[in-house]
Amino acid sequence: MKVSYRWLGRHVDLAGIAPAEVANDLTIHTAEVEGCERFAPWLADVVVGHVVERVRHPDADKLSLCRVDVGPRGEGQLLQIVCGASNVAAGQRVAVALAGTALPNDLKIKKSKIRGVESQGMICSESELSLSDEHAGIWVLPGEPRIGAPVSEALGLDDWVIEIDNKSLTHRPDLWGHRGLAREVAAIRGRKLAPLDLAPPRTSAGAPYPVRVESAGCARYLGLVIEGVKNGPAPEWMRFLLLAVGQRPIDLLVDLSNFVMLDLGQPNHLFDLGLLAADGIRVRDARAGERMRTLDGLERVLTAEDVLVCSGDEIVALAGVMGGEGSKVGPETGSVLVEAAAFDPTRVRRTAARLGLRTDASTRFEKNLSPTLPAEAAAHVVSLLRSLQPGLRLPRPAGDAGQWKDPARTVSISPARVREVLGAPIPDAEIERILGALELRLEKRAEKGAEWRVHVPSARATKDLTIPEDLIEEVGRMHGYGRIPVQALQVELHPAPWNERAELVRTLADRLGGAAGFHEAMTYSFVDSAVLAALGLDGERYVRLANPQSAGSERVRRSVLPSLLAHLAKNRRQRPEVRLFEIGKGYLPEHASARHEPLEVHELALVWMAPRPDAGPGFASSAFARLQAVVEDLFRDAGRERPPWTSAPALPAWAHPVRSIAAADGGGQPIALLTTLEPEVQARLDLTGELDGEVACAVLSLDRLLAQPRVPAGYRPLPRFPGVKVDVAAAVPEECSAGGLEQALRAAGKGLVESCDLFDLYRGASLGAGRKSLAYHVLLQAEDRTLTEQDCAKYLARVERALAELGGELRKV
Amino acid sequence: VSAERARTEVAPIREQALAAIGAASAVPELARIEREVLGKDGAVGRLLAGIREVPPAERKAFGEAANELKRTLEGALAERRAALEKERIAAERAAEHFDPTLPAPRVERGSLHPMTLVVRRLERIFTSMGYQALDGPEVELDYYNFEALNIPRDHPAREMHDTFWCEGGELLMRTHTSPVQIRALEKGFDPAALPFRAIVPGRCFRNETTDASHEHTFHQMEGLVVGKGITVGHLIGTMKTFLREVFRAELEVRLRPGYFPFVEPGFELDVRCPFCEKKGCSVCKRSTWIELCPCGMVHPRVLNYGGVDPAVYTGFAFGLGLSRLVMLFYQIEDIRHLMGADLRFLEQFPHTR
Repeated sequence: MKVSYRWLGRHVDLAGIAPAEVANDLTIHTAEVEGCERFAPWLADVVVGHVVERVRHPDADKLSLCRVDVGPRGEGQLLQIVCGASNVAAGQRVAVALAGTALPNDLKIKKSKIRGVESQGMICSESELSLSDEHAGIWVLPGEPRIGAPVSEALGLDDWVIEIDNKSLTHRPDLWGHRGLAREVAAIRGRKLAPLDLAPPRTSAGAPYPVRVESAGCARYLGLVIEGVKNGPAPEWMRFLLLAVGQRPIDLLVDLSNFVMLDLGQPNHLFDLGLLAADGIRVRDARAGERMRTLDGLERVLTAEDVLVCSGDEIVALAGVMGGEGSKVGPETGSVLVEAAAFDPTRVRRTAARLGLRTDASTRFEKNLSPTLPAEAAAHVVSLLRSLQPGLRLPRPAGDAGQWKDPARTVSISPARVREVLGAPIPDAEIERILGALELRLEKRAEKGAEWRVHVPSARATKDLTIPEDLIEEVGRMHGYGRIPVQALQVELHPAPWNERAELVRTLADRLGGAAGFHEAMTYSFVDSAVLAALGLDGERYVRLANPQSAGSERVRRSVLPSLLAHLAKNRRQRPEVRLFEIGKGYLPEHASARHEPLEVHELALVWMAPRPDAGPGFASSAFARLQAVVEDLFRDAGRERPPWTSAPALPAWAHPVRSIAAADGGGQPIALLTTLEPEVQARLDLTGELDGEVACAVLSLDRLLAQPRVPAGYRPLPRFPGVKVDVAAAVPEECSAGGLEQALRAAGKGLVESCDLFDLYRGASLGAGRKSLAYHVLLQAEDRTLTEQDCAKYLARVERALAELGGELRKV
Repeated sequence: VSAERARTEVAPIREQALAAIGAASAVPELARIEREVLGKDGAVGRLLAGIREVPPAERKAFGEAANELKRTLEGALAERRAALEKERIAAERAAEHFDPTLPAPRVERGSLHPMTLVVRRLERIFTSMGYQALDGPEVELDYYNFEALNIPRDHPAREMHDTFWCEGGELLMRTHTSPVQIRALEKGFDPAALPFRAIVPGRCFRNETTDASHEHTFHQMEGLVVGKGITVGHLIGTMKTFLREVFRAELEVRLRPGYFPFVEPGFELDVRCPFCEKKGCSVCKRSTWIELCPCGMVHPRVLNYGGVDPAVYTGFAFGLGLSRLVMLFYQIEDIRHLMGADLRFLEQFPHTR
């Protein structure tokens, strides 16, 4: 909302308080100020000129040649200015933009030749100065302003605009007009708010104007007839104040209505009485499907939630939002009906939101204005209009209908509680002063220590000030939060509860983001439908958004990994190798709580994309193998037991049907799943051709990892006797698994095998088709003696027999 | 006789050998001289072998003279060898081309997201003050996100939240971390361990158009303290302490009125822009203040919803804009980088602390 500094000055004396200081006062004590800027700053550069002589341009019928006195700015000379307006005449005071002046709309004034004659400036129209749409002729300045003075100063147009963030006024219906803000400034500065007589005007006797309220959406409707009105342009002071706050002046009646709204915060409407039916006003609920044409010329389709103001068979206004086209005031209007009403905040808000029609009126109504305010607004309309047109008449009492009651209330508060919550030693007297300055009347009780009764006036009682804490806020903000002494918390020491998952996440991230060489990513919780389709996951159940940003982004992810895969191609374009991880949440709607919350799962997703290893049997060079090593290490970091890897039982659609392994918990659910991307899926993700590579992925369920038993803490005494190292190379059929082979090598040791580490995997012609060779470093160790060559030979003999059973043989190393 | 022998037999060997040692210019040459002089068949060896022909009376003196000669020559050889070795090393050094600017092979290492880094920093500060770090669901119930935070249905504040609603109307993507206030009080408020202190970092969602300074997914950190006699002064003190720890500087802060239905009184906390020393810059949009977080005293109704008696307890809460803080901290110009998963961005944060 825009606030005019000069307008505030109508309600509170601002002498000695600069606009920026007012802005700062409001920021610190009242609401969020977004800016404070001079109104139409170019008006300080445009000067008052006096047209001394006007003759026709020698070469153009429609142009005039003017000699203009601009005082000292002309350096003793009259300026010669070519002017195209027909209304220019000698003797006028006009607004002159001298060469070098910058006007709005990128208009820069230069000395120029027009049809061969030099022009030393420009005589401006109101439109060229952005003061109105009037561009038919130049702006003839009213009165006799001082020649050579800046126009802003000479006409009292010097103003500053303070912009306040509407959101910060959500709870303050009283601040939607200048008077309310002036009340704040007065309270902050300890000045007096200028008196304003808002008593109901005296009307002729007789039957009140007929008003019927038939909708629960209208608490009060007040209609007051004014006769003997003459429409025309509003006075300059009013037009300029409206301009300053961004309202384009239209004509007196429209401007007056706007002025009263912006002054008191109460929206109101002026109907041309002659265009209303004789039976008066009826406020009713709209019927679903009913149509009306609003003032902006658009036809609106209504619902039963909308409230209508009707006259005869006509709908004359969409209540609280916008007037209708049929009854608006015009140049011929001689009598008006002033509407000032209290409409239901929620219904106005819904109507405005549904129609996309947020107006100054609806914005105010939805804040819950006091139903006492309409009478004050009507009185204000009358007194302002009467000051301009003393002859107006009020032929009958106002119609005033509706079910409403004054929201003014009392709230009890003890000053001790104020000090207690704010943590500041604010004396009783200061609390009293602040509440008084805000027009909150105090009623103290005789007993010592008793609570004070605070009378909250209507304008602040609708929802703003209802509980003691609300009053504490009033005292705190006016006292100044900056004056509250800083306190440190005093606590008894108790250990903070241990967050095991957070600790696990930290450990895993440290490992991955450190030496493991992975980069932590964060991606959206919404997962693109196209990506899900590419991964074959679009058939799963998802939590879905009702209002997604775009079609295809409505699904909330079940798992983190698909989001990482979606970012692979982009990164692969930049780097031959991509290592990413993300720790995040997934939501499974099929496992909902009793309150229908979807099951939340916590997941670590890992992707390692690397150039495909050179052809050959090397078992440790693939991204898959290296990722497996990282995942195994994560189990160690987490201090959790890792169940043995097995072929993954149930695979997601994007996983490679063969190259997949899982470590499952007791219930058979995978704690970790490791796989390479299925080739077709890889193609669908655009990871082919130049972007090809091996994509290894892993998914770790943090929930299941946390449930795994911890590796017991403990220590084993150091061996007392040296062990023997022996290398074993076994040629076996392809069907024989490394796991099975290792088991056989260990079994052959009869308890002596301390460690058994694969160091080579070989396939080649020398072995024959369908065979492979695996080589191990084996360490034999006994607890009670030093092992000898003989032990070693016995072991190898047993190994040989075991291999024979597997269809293999021992190779010479 | 012994003097005579010494002159005729020992002295020439000494002189010759010492001259040869002195003239040697390389270690292998010294080895040859050593063999020739001290070896089995060398001059000194022969001398010692001849001791049997020496008259017994002179043998002792002769033996001493010969041994002395041996020691002298051994000493001379060692000295000369050390000198030559030194020369060789010096020559090698002189010939060496060592390029101190040659790059080292790269050690592959990863990175943590700047959000993680900032959250860790904050968690360290707050957990050291006895706060527990909590977590809450991103898919949230209307009840926790709005209702229990004193934002009933039809409250205008709801509209400002630009909520992503889930199908069915009961669930939504949480618009702030504040719902965890209620969840935390319901579950963890223990009158025997006061004041209750918790922080809740996490993602939040607002359905607004994304550009360089707006994201539909962003991060916040909720803070909540509930106990007996908790005041606005405690809130200010806490925020000052934490800012001092984050920015490692004493920064001026100010509280000004702000409206949030779940606090009363409610504030906006501004911090003096750490980048421009009150001159005004693009970071603070020329105002010299940076709006950091909404905060306030927990509304009595919210305490009630959390099962805490507002007649006995008071508390404060704050909602720190983490995305904004991360951007400030690392001077990131475009918020979209945070959720963009672009390695060129992520690689730039190779810290784990």
